[in-house]
Amino acid sequence: MEDDPFDFDLDDLLADAPAIAPKRRKKVLGLDELLVDHFKEQNRALERKSKLAKTRKIYDSDDEEDGRVAKLSKYVDECHAKMTQLGDEDDVSHWGLHVFGKQKPLPSIEFSELSSCSLFRSFVNHEVNSLVELSTDSGESFFEGLLTNGWLLKLVSKCGVVESSIAKWTFHLMLYSSNEALISAAIDFWCTILLLKNEHESPSIRIDWLPSYSELKDALETYGFILHSPTNDSSDAEFVLGESECNKPPQNIRAWIKYVAACSQSRNIHCTFTASEAEELVVVIICLLLDRQLLGLSIDLNECMIALVNFFTDDEWSISCVKVAKSIASRVPKDMNSLRAVESIHAVHGPTKLLRSAIAFHILVGCFDKVEDEEEVIRQLTLINLKDKNCDLFKVYIYMVLTENWFLYNPLLEDNQLLSEMWGLFLRNCSCQINITDSRSYAPKVRSKASYILQGTTSRLL
Amino acid sequence: MGTKRRRGGDGGMEENTMAILDTSCFSKSAEHLADDRLSFLEAVRSGSLVTDNASAPTNKMYKATFQILKDEKSLDLIMSSYQLLLELDKRFPRVYMSETEKSESSSPSSNLHHELVVVEEAWSPFSFGVDVISSEKQNHGKINESVDVTEFNLLIEDLSKVPDEANTSEPFRNMLLFQYLVNVLEGDFRPRNLAFLESADWIALKESLLNTILVSRKITYKGLVKDCLSSMCVLSQFSTDCSLDMKPAENGSAELAEKWRHTALALALPEVVKCTHAAVQKLLLMIIELDSSKATADLDGLTTRADGTRTPATEIILDELTYDKNILFPFFQALDKPKLKLDMIVEYLKKYMPKTSVRTRRSNGSTNDSTFGGILNSFSNGNSAKGIMKKISSEVAQLLLAQAFQAYIALPCEHSTESKEENSLQNICNDMISAFTCLKKADKHTGILPFAKEALVTAAFLLSRNS
Repeated sequence: MEDDPFDFDLDDLLADAPAIAPKRRKKVLGLDELLVDHFKEQNRALERKSKLAKTRKIYDSDDEEDGRVAKLSKYVDECHAKMTQLGDEDDVSHWGLHVFGKQKPLPSIEFSELSSCSLFRSFVNHEVNSLVELSTDSGESFFEGLLTNGWLLKLVSKCGVVESSIAKWTFHLMLYSSNEALISAAIDFWCTILLLKNEHESPSIRIDWLPSYSELKDALETYGFILHSPTNDSSDAEFVLGESECNKPPQNIRAWIKYVAACSQSRNIHCTFTASEAEELVVVIICLLLDRQLLGLSIDLNECMIALVNFFTDDEWSISCVKVAKSIASRVPKDMNSLRAVESIHAVHGPTKLLRSAIAFHILVGCFDKVEDEEEVIRQLTLINLKDKNCDLFKVYIYMVLTENWFLYNPLLEDNQLLSEMWGLFLRNCSCQINITDSRSYAPKVRSKASYILQGTTSRLL
Repeated sequence: MGTKRRRGGDGGMEENTMAILDTSCFSKSAEHLADDRLSFLEAVRSGSLVTDNASAPTNKMYKATFQILKDEKSLDLIMSSYQLLLELDKRFPRVYMSETEKSESSSPSSNLHHELVVVEEAWSPFSFGVDVISSEKQNHGKINESVDVTEFNLLIEDLSKVPDEANTSEPFRNMLLFQYLVNVLEGDFRPRNLAFLESADWIALKESLLNTILVSRKITYKGLVKDCLSSMCVLSQFSTDCSLDMKPAENGSAELAEKWRHTALALALPEVVKCTHAAVQKLLLMIIELDSSKATADLDGLTTRADGTRTPATEIILDELTYDKNILFPFFQALDKPKLKLDMIVEYLKKYMPKTSVRTRRSNGSTNDSTFGGILNSFSNGNSAKGIMKKISSEVAQLLLAQAFQAYIALPCEHSTESKEENSLQNICNDMISAFTCLKKADKHTGILPFAKEALVTAAFLLSRNS
């Protein structure tokens, strides 16, 4: 390699150099030029005014000069402020649902059977106990040490079996303990034992007790998760401060997410849940992604989603994907939250792309009355009269982003000439029929988004 | 080493996407700016990650994305830009090994040949430009778009302060930023190190980002390793007790958005701290691997005087551990690479072992005390155990032996260095028990620590399974 790879100055030069032929550049002018034109016009208006002022006061003495400059700059400032106000008139609406209601008290269970498990008995009866001095009543605290320091994992993997008392105890700690060290040790414990396998893809460890799906659902309900009707929070009017104290999930939600991810990865090793239960879990994960309180966990949530999607075989997924999409469409309000529901799915491979596209489509279908098939949906879009003062541009914006996702993530649609043409028509309507001075809320957003998408689609076709 | 130029991408796409961020026309409110940035990230994602033949974002777009991670305060933007950057790096690696068949003329055997490919003008979050130029840039008021060596070192230093200010978004962002940077370093180092191990290509390894950082004169290499060490200990300690109290900082008056942010931070903190701790560890391990590759290169005469000499990181760490007993246990508890852990503990304890017989360096006496089994033997002997206890406290001895035992049983089956018959699992377990019996006799005041008890119980259990 002759060049020094760390010579970034070279890079800068390259970056500054025109990357595209000037002929090509012409085509990408769009929003920018419109804006520049708009400003030119404004400047012209300003100039005219100042010229008028000049001619009127031409006979004044030079002392007036400063005053005039001050006036002019004041005027410019005012104008600028007005412009800013105009641009900012509409509030940006945000996504965000409260998917957690009131939290139930976390159950605490005595684990007396722990000291009767064979693992513990073998310790107590061993001659080494003269050195260690374990008593039968120190069972649980001793096991806590074994768990947090990682010994328990080594012990069970050496003996090839997880006794049901140990499995129940660690599972309970993972989902209901309030001690961070225990929670994270229990997560590690479960995620590891679920995925332990030998070279023949069969489990190298026997787990005497596996939590059922209802166990997971119970935990969610205890955390306060509202499975059936997440409440819309973009109108924060009804938000009561006092209540908010309990409306957050406990730390264990992280454990729950990680456990679900590990379970879905271990489908071939342990029988954990059925396809329809996995569908429900995908829906739950998408709902969790809609709560801003879980924003910091989005990496874990995304990983969990991908693990869940991979749980399905391709055949299962083609059916399940639609079910999930329909379920999401019926739960999520048709506002920014629906966009978030779509955008929160990181379409990294085929199945996730399919899901993203399907969710976008089914939400879109729900936006119109009695519309079933794809063609009809797009036709509805082209029928929108954008010039009508009562036309809700916010809705148009939502439709547009949904349709964009529906098309972008479904490669089959690109071949459909008719649909593509109608989609193009809708976009052109949006970018041309809305005037730059349109003061309706979301007008600039709709216009610029449409020209952005148009630009993308035309350059792809070129 | 092969090089590759990335195709110039789609200029139209760049201009179109960058326009989303354009603020020169309207002076927008913070809310609108944040909204635009989110749309920008989404546009980069859909432009480069959706279709299979999509081209990588241009450097300008990369820069803007990184800028968002580096400077933003909104949790939404931090998370999105962090995830986007990781996914982009995965999809468009800057350095990778390609499997190419050797050109037909040279070898008819057509062996698969790994070739290191370096994408030449790929964007990197690091910049190690010449000092003059970088200071000039700053003088012109240009915001620093990339991270230089000093900044990287500062970032590591700051990690040890995370627990003090954990409920603000800045340390949170810095932890993600650090994780991303380590990810970049790793993506650059791994293939280069592989190229070195396979085909002794020292130049490739020498030009790795990691080596460039370590040889930089702007920082002291020793200081960097020490900072890593202390951050790693602080974070591992913090990750077990950082159930950040979930109440918002100000009562009642705090805005809804503020409350949300606070809960979001509190919920995510344990996980992020844990991952950051793992990232610091990864960085240290890479430095140690680089050390060993460099030692090989030195032996083979591939290095020149210009490559300089460095004290191996393990030596620096062992020195630190000797002087600062407070980090001794946290460090070994945090270290989760069994092989390295075992080697380091053996190395540490070796200094305190009684010299039974004078051995010359060359003597083939299979240095018994440089294995874990040998060390346990020394402890099992009443007299020598007493001798050792004069030099190190019973606690330190107990904890180190227990940690070493844990590392030993975590090693994949019958291990490379400890393969001799006398070191079989059975014997190690027996020796553990007798070593602790001796320890208990030698020091009657200190009982056996809980962690050591757990180790003993495990040893006893393993014995009963095998017998």
